[in-house]
Amino acid sequence: MLNDYLPIIILLVLATVLGFLVLIIGALFGPRRPTQRKAAPYESGMIPYGPGTRRISVRYYLVAVLFILFDIETVFFLPWAVVFRQLGWFALIEMLVFIGILLIGFVYVWKKGALEWE
Amino acid sequence: MDAALIWEWIIKSVVILLVMTGGFAYVTLYERRVLARMQVRIGPNRVGWQGLLQPVADGIKLIFKEELTPVGADRLIFILAPVITVIPALIVTAVVPWGTEVNLFGRIVPLRLADINVAVLYILSVTSISVYGITLAGWSSNNKYAMLGGLRATAQMISYELALGMAFVGPILWTGSMSLGDIVSAQKNLWFVVIMPLGFIIYVIASLAEVNRSPFDMPEAEQELTAGYHTEYSGMKFALFFMAEYIKMIGVSMIGATLFLGGYQGPFVDAYPWLGPIYLFIKVALWLFFMIWVRATLPRFRYDRLMAFGWKVLLPLSLLYIVVTAVLRLLVGG
Amino acid sequence: MNDPVDSFMNFDLISRYPGLVKKDQRTGYSGYIVEADCLVQFARAVRDELGFDYLSMITAADYYPDDLMDVIYLLYRTTGGPGILFKVQVSRLDSKVPSLSSIFAGAELQEREVWDMYGISFEDHPDLRRILLWDGFEGHPLRKDWKEPLFEEDSKPYKDRWPAGKHKRQEDLNPFKNNVSYPIGFEPEHFSSNNEKALYDALNKTSGNLNGSLKTDQIIVNLGPQHPSTHGVFRMAALLEGETIIDLKPVMGYLHRSHEKIGERNTFLQNMPYTDRLDYISSMSNNFGYALAVEKLMAVTPPERAEYIRVIMAELTRISSHIMTTGFLLNELGAMFTPSLYALEERELILDIFEEVSGSRMMCNYFRFGGVVRDISDSVIEKIRKLVFNRLPRKIDELDRYLTHNEIVRLRTEGVGVLTADEAAAYSAGGPLLRASGVPYDVRKAEPYSIYDRFKFDVAVRYHGDIYDRYLVRLDEMRQSIRIIQQAIHDIPSGPVMTGKSQYQPKVPAGEAYGRVEGPKGELGFYIVSDGKQNPRRYHVRAPSFINLTALSEMSKGEKVADVIAILGSIDIILGEVDR
Repeated sequence: MLNDYLPIIILLVLATVLGFLVLIIGALFGPRRPTQRKAAPYESGMIPYGPGTRRISVRYYLVAVLFILFDIETVFFLPWAVVFRQLGWFALIEMLVFIGILLIGFVYVWKKGALEWE
Repeated sequence: MDAALIWEWIIKSVVILLVMTGGFAYVTLYERRVLARMQVRIGPNRVGWQGLLQPVADGIKLIFKEELTPVGADRLIFILAPVITVIPALIVTAVVPWGTEVNLFGRIVPLRLADINVAVLYILSVTSISVYGITLAGWSSNNKYAMLGGLRATAQMISYELALGMAFVGPILWTGSMSLGDIVSAQKNLWFVVIMPLGFIIYVIASLAEVNRSPFDMPEAEQELTAGYHTEYSGMKFALFFMAEYIKMIGVSMIGATLFLGGYQGPFVDAYPWLGPIYLFIKVALWLFFMIWVRATLPRFRYDRLMAFGWKVLLPLSLLYIVVTAVLRLLVGG
Repeated sequence: MNDPVDSFMNFDLISRYPGLVKKDQRTGYSGYIVEADCLVQFARAVRDELGFDYLSMITAADYYPDDLMDVIYLLYRTTGGPGILFKVQVSRLDSKVPSLSSIFAGAELQEREVWDMYGISFEDHPDLRRILLWDGFEGHPLRKDWKEPLFEEDSKPYKDRWPAGKHKRQEDLNPFKNNVSYPIGFEPEHFSSNNEKALYDALNKTSGNLNGSLKTDQIIVNLGPQHPSTHGVFRMAALLEGETIIDLKPVMGYLHRSHEKIGERNTFLQNMPYTDRLDYISSMSNNFGYALAVEKLMAVTPPERAEYIRVIMAELTRISSHIMTTGFLLNELGAMFTPSLYALEERELILDIFEEVSGSRMMCNYFRFGGVVRDISDSVIEKIRKLVFNRLPRKIDELDRYLTHNEIVRLRTEGVGVLTADEAAAYSAGGPLLRASGVPYDVRKAEPYSIYDRFKFDVAVRYHGDIYDRYLVRLDEMRQSIRIIQQAIHDIPSGPVMTGKSQYQPKVPAGEAYGRVEGPKGELGFYIVSDGKQNPRRYHVRAPSFINLTALSEMSKGEKVADVIAILGSIDIILGEVDR
């Protein structure tokens, strides 16, 4: 088991080292002469009006919630697909029921207008 | 477990990182040259023969650039965000097999880093992580363009991740395994693109959106949000984002080629295992060419239409594709 | 100016407002003089009863040392024909005029410009702020008694440079040397702009809740001046909710170069190359408009061959401008430069011709009063023939094939940025913007100038008023231009290209004149007042890009951020002309 994942962990460590290495190289060689104007957030050359980060539109949260719902569904698909050949037609019918229930939810969300961006 | 095995893994990891970063450098050149040809231009051809040293020059330039942190930015997150973006991009291809096995200095070396039995799940989870980097970059910059860009990116990537995940189901269903090695072996005689063209198309579309490439390059829509979530990044921090984007391009091409185009499979690959990586390379190069071609040709979708397309078209289509593939699998027999 | 109003009787405007309206009796002048008190009534009557529904131009002229300034209004009918010109005379000391922005929405930006340049305040104007100059600016520069810090003389040629002057320039006397110092007490870092505050306040005022149910933060985002897709230093301050535009205000003036002030110091001929710099994509059209205005004052007409050459050049300019706009519109939609570079390829071929006839690719400076500067050779005609009979029609069809039915293009452009016919006329929109909204108004047909009445061509018109239709109108117009050039190439006679001998210092009699052409961006007009000296007293440019921007805010409301960029691209502005 460990043998399977150890190489990935090694790669992960090395990739992290690489990422920070790049940051350090930039910090070492880049000049550093900040001024007030340079450090101002960029807004097409104007002094920004109001803060840059603030409450965001509620639609984005909606997308996030929907994503969680449907992503779990995707996760259910994967093990089903692995054992599909053993189970045969039974698996298909089972999954059709599952998809059917999901579709009801999907249609409900659609009709409620949660997928609209207007 | 012996030390030689660990050394083998370390060497392979280093090779993967080198191939990915080097690949990133030359994909930028590749893109610029191909794009130029499509636009009746010549493209960079002055630094080195045919511009081959151009990426090096670009890299050196970026190293010596000043890095700025905007006033009011969340400094720690601002610095960490590019690293968080680049790491998943670097490790996502760890599970992709490059070939069968070769005999190297008397040692049988499999041409893959790891062949885990949940490879597909691994890919899905790693790609999810890269969304964090982009969101955090947009959030921590204290910049309106960056925030809008980051939000767009997040919403877009998670929406298309659903379709991407479902596109994976077809090959798994056919093979009965989540290991990419098994999936490639199963395509020895027939590539999956022939069996499940719909899944292939869904994968292509969703992967373009996943790596923020045209016509889904909304998050960095230059014409609207200047540079989107990396507006405030300069120097090597910017280079990290750039690197992540191009490495992800290579990554989705590799994974796509593995899932649908037979991976390293090709004529004579059994007799000459070294042909495996070459076949994979050719397939990836063609896939990248396609991405560049699309970028040169298509205008950008508008954001709300893009989201609508993802949810209202691609998602139902993916469900249909899974059912069709399942029925087909039963009819063919197995 | 030969009186346009006489041609349909005076409708007794004078007897209708006794004592308040009279004819302009000065020699060389025309139109009416209206008392400020009844201006609004008068304008409304002219619009509703006489049908002059298109406010073409508002400007002013200063008659220093007399205590007199004219505010000049010029109106046309969208059905064509000559226009009506009327003026309000105000004192230089206390200059107030009622605003016409309640009757003509298109007056808004032009009145702001007059306020900025002349200090004439428009009562009841919704948003009277400086527009081209920054709000720390002292004075109103187009007043004749306004002097810049290094003032030399009122008119060129300056004595110390001509004919054998000492060439000691006033700049050398600059106490600030490289202009790095500021006056005592002025702190550029701490200068806070009232204009900015007023702008943001005006935006915040309109912040209504969009859908009524969920309250989210509304953000004010500046798009520009340093933005990749505003065609230069143009700025839009937008109030957003999510990604939807609730209100938007254009801000301009970053590229202001005192064009009109310089123009009034120059001699008449010296202004010709200056017009090139207005809309630097289509210098030939700019030359054309200015030449027409001055020729009206001088009462000369160019010889036949020159007229044909002028038409050919103006139409080639239109093609090059439209093809570029089409390409860059696609760029605005996110199509990574490919269409624009394809368009630039064709434009290069047209520029080759310009280079061959005038010696310059962009700043042509080719027209003169009473003709063009030099003849064109047969080889050029042969080149143009090849271009218009073969290459250009083919390439325009190619563009048509690539873009017109592209799914994404249609999705992005159809029904976006809609301007109805009434709105378009009210906002004084011109050119393709107006014609895409279903108003078939083209100066070449409405009031034919030069020899346009000899050619067969159609006015391109579409009816939806969205970005897609603007694109289609431009495509159609290119085809019509090719048609015109084909006829002109066929008919062009031989002969001289200049009336009389060429002269550095043409005699321009006193009077006023307005010359206008249908430029690629819309109606390009030059309002010239001469007092018989070697410099124009008033030199005003009716810049179509500038006036078309009046409608930007209206078109953008309720659209997405991405659409605004495309809408701006479809208006087709050139900052050199907007800011002057």
